[in-house]
Amino acid sequence: MAEVQLRNVTKHWGGFTAVDDLSLTIADHEFLVLLGPSGCGKTTTMRMIAGLSDVSGGEIRIDGRKVNALEPKDRDVAMVFQNYGLYPNLNVYENIRFPLKVRKIDASTHRERVLKAAELVELQDLLERRPRELSGGQRQRVALARAIVREPNVFLMDEPLSNLDAKLRVSTRAQIKNLQHELSVTTVYVTHDQIEAMTLADRVVVMNRGVVQQIGTPMEIYDRPSNTFVAGFIGSPAMNLIEGSLAGGVFKAGDMRVSGLPDDGRDGDVVLGFRAEDAFVADGEEPAELEAAIYSVELQGDATMVTMRVGGELCSIKAAKSFEARIGDPLRVRIPSGICHRFDKKTGARL
Amino acid sequence: MNDTAVLRQPFVLRFATVGFIVFWTILAAFPLLWITLMSFKLPIDAFASDPLRVIFGFTTLRERGGLSVTALVLGAFALWLAYHGAEHHGRRFARYLALGGREWLGWLLAALVYVIALILGLFWILPAIVRVVEAILSHIPVLDYLARPMMGLTMQNYRAVWIGYRFYDNFINSMIVTTGTVVISLTVGTLAGYGLARTRSNVAFWLLIAALIFRALPHSVLVTGYLPVFIHSREFLAPLWNWHATAWFFHLFSDQPPTLYGQPLAVIMVLVSINQPFTIWMLRSFFMNIPAELDEAARVDGCSHLGAFRRVIMPVMWPGVITTGLFSFLLAYNDYLVCSLLLDAQSQTMVPAITSFFNRETTTTDQVQAVAAAVSITAPLFLLVIVFQKQIVSGLTQGAVKG
Repeated sequence: MAEVQLRNVTKHWGGFTAVDDLSLTIADHEFLVLLGPSGCGKTTTMRMIAGLSDVSGGEIRIDGRKVNALEPKDRDVAMVFQNYGLYPNLNVYENIRFPLKVRKIDASTHRERVLKAAELVELQDLLERRPRELSGGQRQRVALARAIVREPNVFLMDEPLSNLDAKLRVSTRAQIKNLQHELSVTTVYVTHDQIEAMTLADRVVVMNRGVVQQIGTPMEIYDRPSNTFVAGFIGSPAMNLIEGSLAGGVFKAGDMRVSGLPDDGRDGDVVLGFRAEDAFVADGEEPAELEAAIYSVELQGDATMVTMRVGGELCSIKAAKSFEARIGDPLRVRIPSGICHRFDKKTGARL
Repeated sequence: MNDTAVLRQPFVLRFATVGFIVFWTILAAFPLLWITLMSFKLPIDAFASDPLRVIFGFTTLRERGGLSVTALVLGAFALWLAYHGAEHHGRRFARYLALGGREWLGWLLAALVYVIALILGLFWILPAIVRVVEAILSHIPVLDYLARPMMGLTMQNYRAVWIGYRFYDNFINSMIVTTGTVVISLTVGTLAGYGLARTRSNVAFWLLIAALIFRALPHSVLVTGYLPVFIHSREFLAPLWNWHATAWFFHLFSDQPPTLYGQPLAVIMVLVSINQPFTIWMLRSFFMNIPAELDEAARVDGCSHLGAFRRVIMPVMWPGVITTGLFSFLLAYNDYLVCSLLLDAQSQTMVPAITSFFNRETTTTDQVQAVAAAVSITAPLFLLVIVFQKQIVSGLTQGAVKG
């Protein structure tokens, strides 16, 4: 059980900065997700915590102890890898037991501990198998069992679900969430999948190009994105971001006109954001913020996604599943000012 | 494999394919089989123009005796049994002998027991059984033909080569040279190959290119470079023996610098330098196929970097190491040029030593002895390939070890 602190951590590869001045405190028992597109530095950050990559600047503390110069084995962390990293020459039992064996933990306790870990991930019946005889989901569970058998201070998980098929991903995700709750070990989880991040995390760190964009609970990140990157990355579909001009609390762009925004002197070019599910199709003759022809209609089962063109960009509106219209039909959409987020056009920062 | 009608080969094509393979196998194996037969005959049979005489050795049979059909069949059965036993029960036997869970000890003991059993079986038990069976058969009419010697066989050529011409000296020299070469080039090769496979540095690329260039050099160029140094090594090495900082160390071995020419141990150095680029390249490609996640998992699980290499990477690497080891064994074992130029007649290895048999070439006896020496050289190769066939096949075919 430990708190992990990163202070001004930086990583350079030659001239390239993979992680830039990252400061973060991961509380004891917390489930923290590092989220971002590939190449954003999230995996590098995790590898620095694990000790598999050197830190170029700043310091990392686990449980108050500076670990910059420590070997991975001396940091008391356990890691689950994207491609499992199982030992192909050992069977499941020996794979799970490996950390106990190399750490010279009292051999008489091995069997009990391995069985307990295997039971937590429901592997009791597969202990004699070799990794190549297992399915992807089973392999990932072996990797999980190997991580928990030692009861480490910190779990590190590097996109553990990305090699599983969609259905298995959902069930394994639930299993990981439950496991972390049961063991209540500080966990750092890297993913590029925002749904994984939303469902698993106590707190999410959104990263882009080595820089932290926002740190917050999943709801904070979803409801109050701190810049256009986060707004465009989180949510499915992502937040609609419309470039336009703001004057006296009125936003205009193409066929769209939103009034009633706060008039606080931030006039000029802005980006207006709103989520598809917050906007709705206007009924009757009430005044609508957006009037345009339908660009496309997508059935999703539980709802219908309507896309319309505003200026140069596409914007999605979630309509009821009973909604019926054809491409090209005119549509009137309500976008109340209360659902809108304003971002600076140049910096992307929230206004 | 493919049972779909579309992909099934027409009969003529299949017949031609099989025929070609059989023809080619015979063509490739024939010289070896033929000299093996020759080496067991008297010179007059071995060089007879009638092929039947070479096979059955009528004169040899009359003068030195031979083997009956019974003996041949029982002998073949015993060899099959020896192979089958090792193949199917070897692993369990080794596990059984692994005292205290040390697997290498189990394998060592199992190999020892196996070799002893093989020698006992082939030289005492088998002849005894053959004699008993022959004695029984010889009393039965018709079947007594099976007990009568029909294929001439003599060991006199081998005896002359191995004992008379002290071929075992050459054998020992060959073993020194090959063992040294294999051990050194594999040790350096695994470490270097692992390092080069895992590094991100640009230097690695240039090291590999340099290795490739050295690999491309003709061996004779390297030998020409080494030859004068070997002959005059006493002068070249003198500073090491004279300089006070190193003198005490080298004086532990000898009072004055050695002459490297004619020393099998020194030839190891040359063969390693020829061999090393190849082993590094080959082992590197094996290591590239092992995902780096495996090292990383081991290091997080509690191994040091070297510990991860030893406990996790090496067990997965065995097929690669054995395949590479076999290739470097073959290079050292079959080497003619380096050994014949850097060793003298007293310290010759087997392959160049054969030429001395052929160079004598005064009588047919000398020639058939040269043939016997040539056959003697191939035996260890067969043994090696049979013992390690599985690892070699998996090393050559799959290459990759999926995690």
